[in-house]
Amino acid sequence: MDKAKEVQFINTIKKRLNKPMRYYLDLCTRCGLCYDTCHVYYGIPKKEFSPVNRAETVRKVFKKYFRPSGSLLPYWGDAEKFSDRVMDELCEAAFSCTGCRRCMVYCPFGIDTPHVLSIAKTLLLENETTPEELVMLADAAVEKGKSIQDFKEGYREVVRDLEEEVRKRLGRGSAEGLIPMEKKNADVLFVGLSGAHSIVHPAVVFNAAGENWTLSYFEAVNFGAFAGDPEKTRFIADRVINEARELGVKEVVIVECGTAYRIPKYMLGPLPFKVTSIVEKIHQYVKEGKLKINEKAIIEAVTYHDPCQLGRNAGVFEEPRELLGMLCGDYREMSPTREYNWCCGGGGGLVALDNEEFRIKSGKAKKDQIDRTGAKIVVTACENCVLQLNTIRDGYGLDIEVRSLTELVAENLSL
Amino acid sequence: MWDKVYYFVMVPMVYIAFGTFALGIILKLLKVLFSPSIKGSLGAFPRKAPMPAGILYEVFAMPAVFKKDKVLWIFLMAYHAAFGLLVLGHLELIREFRFLQIVPHEVFLGAGWVGIVLTISVLYFLLRRFRSPYREISVPEDYLLLLLLFLTFVFGSHMHLAARYGIAGFDIPLDDYRAYLSSMVNFKPELPAMITASPHYVIIMLHILFANLFLMLFPFSKMIHSVFVFFTIAVKRK
Repeated sequence: MDKAKEVQFINTIKKRLNKPMRYYLDLCTRCGLCYDTCHVYYGIPKKEFSPVNRAETVRKVFKKYFRPSGSLLPYWGDAEKFSDRVMDELCEAAFSCTGCRRCMVYCPFGIDTPHVLSIAKTLLLENETTPEELVMLADAAVEKGKSIQDFKEGYREVVRDLEEEVRKRLGRGSAEGLIPMEKKNADVLFVGLSGAHSIVHPAVVFNAAGENWTLSYFEAVNFGAFAGDPEKTRFIADRVINEARELGVKEVVIVECGTAYRIPKYMLGPLPFKVTSIVEKIHQYVKEGKLKINEKAIIEAVTYHDPCQLGRNAGVFEEPRELLGMLCGDYREMSPTREYNWCCGGGGGLVALDNEEFRIKSGKAKKDQIDRTGAKIVVTACENCVLQLNTIRDGYGLDIEVRSLTELVAENLSL
Repeated sequence: MWDKVYYFVMVPMVYIAFGTFALGIILKLLKVLFSPSIKGSLGAFPRKAPMPAGILYEVFAMPAVFKKDKVLWIFLMAYHAAFGLLVLGHLELIREFRFLQIVPHEVFLGAGWVGIVLTISVLYFLLRRFRSPYREISVPEDYLLLLLLFLTFVFGSHMHLAARYGIAGFDIPLDDYRAYLSSMVNFKPELPAMITASPHYVIIMLHILFANLFLMLFPFSKMIHSVFVFFTIAVKRK
């Protein structure tokens, strides 16, 4: 590796040394308690997939350039210089991690390994070895943000077709205004995804609850975060923040997408509106009596997969369980559950990559969990998780159906 | 010549070690203080106990370790509790603290057990690292620091236990330890003849040498976890 690049990488690390990063890079004792807490390690028991080893790939270069022992006695802490091999190790560590943070729960110091790996992701961007798909998807989202006026008319036409679908489901006479757009001073701005289902089911719920809402022009998912690009992450998030400000909404409701929810809710600091997950919103409607669901309408055995970014990383544990408790006659909890739940293996943008074989193997922990419940329906509240659970189902030949919670509620409303 | 080496370890190096320890920690904390904060939160859920009780609970009760590895938890609890008593015991080697006499004793609450528990615990931590998968993730620092602690504790324990063999001339009276350590604290160092003439002088010197190295390495090694853990748990619960 040439000297100029090495200096550039050192400066990149320097820029990423915020307070938590300094703690995380210094205090790991390599106790190994996190060693087998990663779903990837469970499916592919290689040292490289243990959380401690992933973080060590970053720590080794950090020590080399930022600790006296790194230059005086590299042997002391296994400090290593940047090299092509080190860059390959950083790539494997960063892009086999879904950012689920299960390891953090088991770490006695609460080390956030994905936060440490954010250094690796930034270095890989500069090395131009970030998976191409993620960079392209992030760029596309940025481009949409820059030229939204060109997209608007086409998007409105698509939405008009979706309104008809919503009308049918609600059994209404007219489809007009069932999916409002650019509605000033609406109470709720709903941010969906690119798939029609991510808009139709929430639209059914909002109309049934009589919500004063409007639909965002943008998709909630943030590929900037998956690619590890802080500038693009902020730009993609700002598209919705600016839209919400311009419309003067009180609340932004995010579709079933864990990362899309966690970023505005917890990662951007204070915002001038409330950020809510669609799951929390549905739960609120039910509690307030605005929405009535057909109790115990589902008789088959049902289990719930906590999306990591919604549960462990955002605290939405009770709402989906209460809703499923009402909907299902035979609800079965996974084990381990809640903050200890295994990641399905689809997060961190991994589900967008050409890596199905890897994801099937790394989904073994989830497959075993589902098997143990004996459930026939696996419900979750994250689009990435739905896609990955379907990959696991097909990969292992499981006799299960994967459903999204919003979809299940929308289909079982007492209208 | 050896006299000079012994003196260096027993006096100037102790000041260097404590200075490095204090300045190193201050430097580390200043670096953190002047590093940018993050805008949002890296917190994880659920947060079972409120701040700051929740932080203290996670730091001192180590529930994450208890859940994952109960044997390690027992050794860690024993080690850290004994380490606390060790610090108090060394303070008593400077002067008497009345509040520690709630349990009447001469010096060192826990008597010889403190050193024995520390030695056995650290030996467990060290041997654990020779076993897979911990062996694969360990770096030389992990072994060398544990070895350093082991040596410090072994020689320290030996001095405490040797006090029982006063008849053989191994015992160094408490007053002489207090004379030495209080003179160090008052920056008027003196080495009582009972220490320098004792057959155990070499043991004391080695104990202090290893302890000095431990103090000097503390801020610049993973041992800084004992300071930073309060911050990381706070980040986790923010």
